[in-house]
Amino acid sequence: MIRRRPFSALLLLILLLLAALGWQNRAHLQAFPGIIGAYSAKEYCSCRYVANNPAQYCEAYVAQYVPLSGFFDDVAHKRVTARGLGRTQSAQWLNPRQGCQLLAEPTVLPPS
Amino acid sequence: MLSFLFPSSRRVLACLIALSSACAQAESWPGEDWSSQLVAPSTAISALDSYAFPARDETTRKGVRTDALLVIRDGQVVYERYAEPTSAATPHLGWSMAKSILATTMGVAYGQGLFKLDAPVADYYPPFSAHPQIKVGHLLNWASGLDWQEDYEYAPLKSSVVAMLYTRGRSDMAAFTAAHTADAEPGARFRYSSGDTNVLSAALKGMVGEAAYANYPWTALFNPLGIKSAVWETDAAGTFVGSSYLYMTARDLARVGLLMQREGRWGEQQVLPKAWVEFNRTPFANYQPQADKPNESVPGGQWWLNVPMAGARKPWPDAPSNTLVASGHWGQGLYVLPDEKLVIVRYADDRDGSFDRNHFLKLVLAATATEVQP
Repeated sequence: MIRRRPFSALLLLILLLLAALGWQNRAHLQAFPGIIGAYSAKEYCSCRYVANNPAQYCEAYVAQYVPLSGFFDDVAHKRVTARGLGRTQSAQWLNPRQGCQLLAEPTVLPPS
Repeated sequence: MLSFLFPSSRRVLACLIALSSACAQAESWPGEDWSSQLVAPSTAISALDSYAFPARDETTRKGVRTDALLVIRDGQVVYERYAEPTSAATPHLGWSMAKSILATTMGVAYGQGLFKLDAPVADYYPPFSAHPQIKVGHLLNWASGLDWQEDYEYAPLKSSVVAMLYTRGRSDMAAFTAAHTADAEPGARFRYSSGDTNVLSAALKGMVGEAAYANYPWTALFNPLGIKSAVWETDAAGTFVGSSYLYMTARDLARVGLLMQREGRWGEQQVLPKAWVEFNRTPFANYQPQADKPNESVPGGQWWLNVPMAGARKPWPDAPSNTLVASGHWGQGLYVLPDEKLVIVRYADDRDGSFDRNHFLKLVLAATATEVQP
């Protein structure tokens, strides 16, 4: 097999290694897509409602290389929702001492 | 009676000899706000201004990006400047400076006899029973021996701190840390860990009691110092995110600096035991400086030091070796220089590694050096 199809064999080997690596890091990989939405929602919420910076500044402040596919700041409830890499996350301002916290369940983004 | 009077009359004599200086000038402390004695413009001030506040490019986010710079000398403001939208009223995020403030908060509990450095963490935080050998002092030195990966942007996949703050660990950061396995003996090795600090934060809950905990940073530290702007975010378990999420104005953070400069004393009140400040200032004994990172400050008790260790030079050659520092991501810094009676607060948004702390401290020292009286 290796002599007859060297490239396919190599490809198969690489795929097997990747699969093994993926399995080994499954917990990390599963959590990874959630980072960008959570980071954006939490840090925007704190930038806006704890540090009291302007909305435009906070948008630039949380911007990363990975773009967001959805974002909503519910000003009335001080609740910020961000979507990136297919995952949605929300952060909520709680009170003047505790600031913002990520919510266990994200708010549904309004249709854009 | 005579023996009682004698020292005070000696003091009167000393005052008469010193005449104006020592007795007439009371020590300066901030009341509701700081008093100011701004240094006069000079070329050294201009050099500091142009280094700390160059024109900002919000698109590339490159270079030194100072949001706030406040310098206190002997209890009075001598320099203060902000970059919009940050102002004197902004409770700015301090990132990992929170670790040092958590340690300072714990110092009050230490003075109240609520814990011991050599007691197992599990005594105060039962979920740590899986790690019975790890003591409170180990966590304060970032030497738990837990297998922790502290990387932010550059290795997000396996970063323990990113997972703790944003994904798998966010609902209970101390429990997330406790679930890590050990890969070294406690106390054997320094490894910077936000997890270690958040376990301390959870242990503080056990030390002071659940009921007092939610207000403890305020009742123990912020209120006595007159800090009014502090916001300390918690995880869903109600534990203060001691590693990362404390906000206050530059002027309020400088109060913590002055407390440390004066060895834990605030006015007449010894808020922190002197022994605690001494512990903060003591380098972790087994710390090994890295030859390829000569500018890395040395870990003390959740504060950072500028001492020469194990044959290496001091990390910041132009700053005094007794400089005490709280340090945070993206350039946050609180610097205490006791001999110069200086407290420096820098809030920033440095997104690259271009900010040079040694050069910065050199410029501040030059700009605020006491004017030579004619």
